[in-house]
Amino acid sequence: MSTIELRQVEKKFGDLHAVKPLDLTIHDGEFIVLLGPSGCGKTTTLRMISGLEAVSGGTIWLNGRNVTWLHPSERDIAFVFQFYALYPHLTARKNIAFPLQAQGESRETVEKRVNEVVKLLRIEHVLNAHPGQLSGGDQQRVALARALVRRPAAFLMDEPLGALDADFRESMRSEIKRLHVLQHATTVYVTHDQIEAMAMGDRIVVMSEAEIQQIGTPAEVYYDPSNMLVARFIGSPGMNLITGKYADGVVQMAGLENRYAVPQGWQSALKKGLDGGSEIVMGFRPEAAQINDRGKLVGKVYASEMQGSSAVLHLTINENDIIHIRTHRLIPYPIDTLVHFDINPQMIRFFNPKTEAAIKPEVTQ
Amino acid sequence: MTASETQLRGPNTKIRQRHLSNRAIVNLFIWPTLLLLIAMNVFPLFYSLYLGFTNYSAIAGKAPVWVAFQNFNNILNDKNLWQYFATTGRYALMTVSMQTLVGFLLAMLVREKFKGGGILTTLILIPMMISPVVVGMFWKLMYNPTFGFFNAILGFSDPSKSPDWLASRFAGHPTPGLALWAIVIADVWMWAPFVMLLVLSGLKAIPDYLYEAAAVDRASSWFQFWRITLPQVAPLLLIAVLFRTIEAFKSFDLVMGMTGGGPGVQTELISVDLYRIAFLGQFRTGLGSALAYIILIIIIAVSNLYIKYLNQSRGEG
Amino acid sequence: MAHFEETGPRSPVVEPTRVDKVHPRAKWGKTIRVIVVVIITFIMLIPVLVMIMTAFKSRADIVTPPPKVFFHPTLEGFLYLFTDRALLNQGNLAAAQANPGELNYWEQLALKNGQAITGTSDYVGRLKNSVIIAGTSTILSVVLGLFAAYAFSRFKVAGKDDLLFFILSTRMLPGVVVTIPLFLLYKQLGWNDTHIGMIILYTAFNLSFSVWLLKGFIDEIPVEYEEAALVDGYTRLQAFFRIVLPQAVNGIAATTVFCLIFAWNEYAFALMLTSEKARTAPPSIATMLGSGGLEWSAIAAGSLGFLIPVVIVTFVLRDYLLRGVTFGAVRK
Repeated sequence: MSTIELRQVEKKFGDLHAVKPLDLTIHDGEFIVLLGPSGCGKTTTLRMISGLEAVSGGTIWLNGRNVTWLHPSERDIAFVFQFYALYPHLTARKNIAFPLQAQGESRETVEKRVNEVVKLLRIEHVLNAHPGQLSGGDQQRVALARALVRRPAAFLMDEPLGALDADFRESMRSEIKRLHVLQHATTVYVTHDQIEAMAMGDRIVVMSEAEIQQIGTPAEVYYDPSNMLVARFIGSPGMNLITGKYADGVVQMAGLENRYAVPQGWQSALKKGLDGGSEIVMGFRPEAAQINDRGKLVGKVYASEMQGSSAVLHLTINENDIIHIRTHRLIPYPIDTLVHFDINPQMIRFFNPKTEAAIKPEVTQ
Repeated sequence: MTASETQLRGPNTKIRQRHLSNRAIVNLFIWPTLLLLIAMNVFPLFYSLYLGFTNYSAIAGKAPVWVAFQNFNNILNDKNLWQYFATTGRYALMTVSMQTLVGFLLAMLVREKFKGGGILTTLILIPMMISPVVVGMFWKLMYNPTFGFFNAILGFSDPSKSPDWLASRFAGHPTPGLALWAIVIADVWMWAPFVMLLVLSGLKAIPDYLYEAAAVDRASSWFQFWRITLPQVAPLLLIAVLFRTIEAFKSFDLVMGMTGGGPGVQTELISVDLYRIAFLGQFRTGLGSALAYIILIIIIAVSNLYIKYLNQSRGEG
Repeated sequence: MAHFEETGPRSPVVEPTRVDKVHPRAKWGKTIRVIVVVIITFIMLIPVLVMIMTAFKSRADIVTPPPKVFFHPTLEGFLYLFTDRALLNQGNLAAAQANPGELNYWEQLALKNGQAITGTSDYVGRLKNSVIIAGTSTILSVVLGLFAAYAFSRFKVAGKDDLLFFILSTRMLPGVVVTIPLFLLYKQLGWNDTHIGMIILYTAFNLSFSVWLLKGFIDEIPVEYEEAALVDGYTRLQAFFRIVLPQAVNGIAATTVFCLIFAWNEYAFALMLTSEKARTAPPSIATMLGSGGLEWSAIAAGSLGFLIPVVIVTFVLRDYLLRGVTFGAVRK
C-alpha cells in the first residue's frame, strides 16, 4: 500500500507564496499528474513530497507515516529529474547500482536487481558508457532504471520528458506508462504539457498560481472543467470562451450580433449561478461546434489550419473574441467569409465571469 | 564559409569597392600588435641569446667578446646558482601548495550563499590586486620583531624571545628557512583568494540536481565530495596550480620588497640573483643573459603545460 | 493555447530549503560557517588595515613597541611623502616658532620636528610619471588589443591558434629575460629612462593580456548583428564601429581597468629601466629613507594612495575579476 496524503501543505519563499495550502490524496498504484504552467507550484509540491523542499506548513503522509520532516532518503521514494541527474563520473551500470549499494544491499541482490531493471528498460547496450556519452533518451532510461532499482513506495517524476526531442517524447511516454502498469507503483508526475497529462494520468491535478484548480480524471477535466482557467488550458486548442449578456434564456453576444438560446434545463441553473448578474461566459470545445449553412450562429473567417484529417477554422465573432472550430470539411475558407455553425447542446458549458467558476447544470432525473 | 567570413555581395558591387576588403582589415588590425610584440619580445630574445655567448658588460664600454659556452659553463658549475634554483623550487612548491589548499578551503566555506557573502568575497580579493612590492614592504613592517604587528598578534610580546622572521632568527638563535616561510606566508596571503575565486566558479557550475539525486539516493558526504564536487573543480585547480607555479618561478617584486634576497642567501630567488648579476655591481650582462636563458627554458616547459591545458579546455568548452 | 503569466520562480530562490538544510542543526552549522568566514576575512584584511593605520601614525608611534592600535592620527606620513625638508638651525627655528600664524598647516607640521619645507619631493614627480606612463600605455594596449581581438574573433586568420599562442606566451616570459637586451637597446636608442621607452614597453607587456581578454568578450557578441548590418549595406568597418563597439563597452572597460592596474603596479621593469626622469612610483616607494632608516609612514601613505584605486577597482570589477586574472580562461 502506498498512498500519499498532503494535508494543508504550503510553501513560502520569504514573502512569495509558492504553494498555497492544499489537500491532496493519492491512491495506491495511481498515476497522478500535476499539471500547470511555469511557476504554478507543481514542481514545488512534488519536491515537498520528496523532501527536497521543506514544507512551510502542513503535513505529508506516506502510507500512514508522517514523513514531513524525514530526509529524502528515508521516505522510500525515487525521484526522476528533468535533466537526468546522473553521476557524470560513474558508468551507467554504476549509476543504476548506486542507490542499492548506498543502502548496503548484498552484491548478489544488487546484481540481480540491476539486471532485471536493465532488461525492462532495454538498455543493456549502454551500461559501460558514461552519461556524457549517451543520447538524451538513453540517459533518461538510465535515470528511470536508477529509480526503479530500489522498488520504492512511490515514484516522483519532475518533467522527465522535458529535455527530450519531440519524437523521443512520444515513445518514452508510452514506456513510462507501461512501466507504471507493470510495477503497480504509485507515481506522481509533473508536467506543463497537457497532452502528456491527458495521455498518461489516471487523475490530473490542474494547478495555477500556487493553487489547485481542479482534480479529476482526464475526461472530467476535459468535459467538465471547473473554471475558465482549466477550460482554456486543457485541449489543443483550448475551449472557446465567449462573453455575452444573458437574459431570459438567451445569450446576446456583441459584434456580429449573435444570439444563442440556451438549451432546455440550463435556465434555472444559470439563474442561480449568475446570481443576478447579466454577464455570462459560454464555452464549447472546437469539436462541439458544427458548421451548418443554416446554423444559428455566425462568425467571420480569420484563418484556417489544415491538420491532416481535420481542419481548424479560426473565426472572429466580435472584435475581441476569436473562436476555433474543428471540422472535417477540408474545403478552403477564404478570409472574411461568413460561416454559420451550431453548437452541440450536450457540450455547451457556462461560466460566471466574475468568479470564473463553471456553472453546474441542474441534475435532471 | 559563414557570412562573417565572406564578403556579402549587394547590388552595388559592380562599382569599385570603396571599402576595405576583409583581408585588408585583418592585416590592418593585427599587424601593428604583432609587430610591437615581435619587436619587444622576439628581438630581445634573440639578442639575449647572442649576449649569452659573450662576456659583455653594459657599463664597461667595451664591445662584446665572444666566449662561446663559457657563461653557460660557469652557471651550470656554480654551486651557488644551483642552490638558488633549489630555493626557488622550494619556494614555488611551498607557496603553490599552501595557496591551493587555503584557497580551496575558503571556497568550500563560502560556497553557500549568505547575507553579505558578496561583499566579503570582494574584500578577500583585494590582496591580489595590490602591487607585490608594496605588499612586500608592508609585510616587512609587520614582521618587524620590535614594532611589527605579526608577532604581537601571534602573542609574542617580548622581542628578545620572539621570531625575527626576515632575519631567520628565533629568540636570537639562527633558524634558517624562517625568512623563506615569511615570504611564503605573504605570497599565500596575496594569492589564496585567486584560487578561491577559481574554485568557486567551478563549484557554482555544479548543478544542484546532482546533489539532490545524491540526497535521494542516500549518498554519503564523502561520495558527494569525491564524485560530484572534486571532479568538477579539478580542472580549475589545475589551471590555478600551473598558473601560480609559473608566477612563483618568476617571483621578483615580492622578494625585493621584503628581503632583497637575504638574510644571506636564504631568500635569493633565481630572478633576484639575475637582477643582481646584470644590474648591480659589475653589470655582467653576458653572464646574466645566459642565466636568463636557462631560466627561460625551465619556464617554457611549465608554461607549455598551461597553454596546452588551456587550449584543451577551451576546445571542450 | 495557455495564457498564463509567470506567477513565481521556476526553481527555488537563493537559499536551499531541503529538509535537512532547514533543520535547526543545519542552521547552526551555517551560522558557524558565516562566523568563520567573517573572521578569516578580517584576518586577511589585517595587513591592509595595518597599512592604513601606519599612514596616519607619527614616526614615534610606528617604531615604539608594542605596536599600537590606538594612536593620535597625524598627517606626518603624507608630509614626508610629498615634501622635502631641511633641519632648521636654532636661530631660524626660534624665529619660525615665534610667528606661527604665517605658516600653513603643513609647515607647522614640519616645524614640530624642527624642519622647514624646502619643496616638493621626488615622489610627486614619480607619481606623475606613473599616471602618464600607465595611462598612455593602457590606452594604447586596449586600442591595439581591441582591433586585434576583433580580427581574431571574426575572421579566419592563417595560423590563428599559433599566433594567439605566441601572444599569450609573451606574457609567460620572465621579465628579466627581456630586460637585459631591452636595456641595451634602449641605451642605443636613447630611450633609457624616458617616458616613451616605458610606454612602449608597458603597451607590449599588456597587449597579450588585452588581446586575450577582449577576444573573449567579443566572442560573446553574436555575429548575427554584424551579419544583419552587412545585409543592410554597411561595410565591415562600419559594422565594427557601430555594432560591435557599443556592445563591447563592458568588456573594454574591464580590460582597460585591468591593464591600468597591472601597469600601475609594475615594479620590475620600472626598477631596471628607469632611474631619474621616468621613474614611476612603485620603485620609489620601496626606498623612502628617513632619518633612521625606512620612513614607514611615508611608505604607508604612498601605499595607501596606491591602495585606494585598487579597492575601488576590485569592487567595480568583481564580476570580471576571474576572467581578468586568468586571461579570460575562466568565466564566473
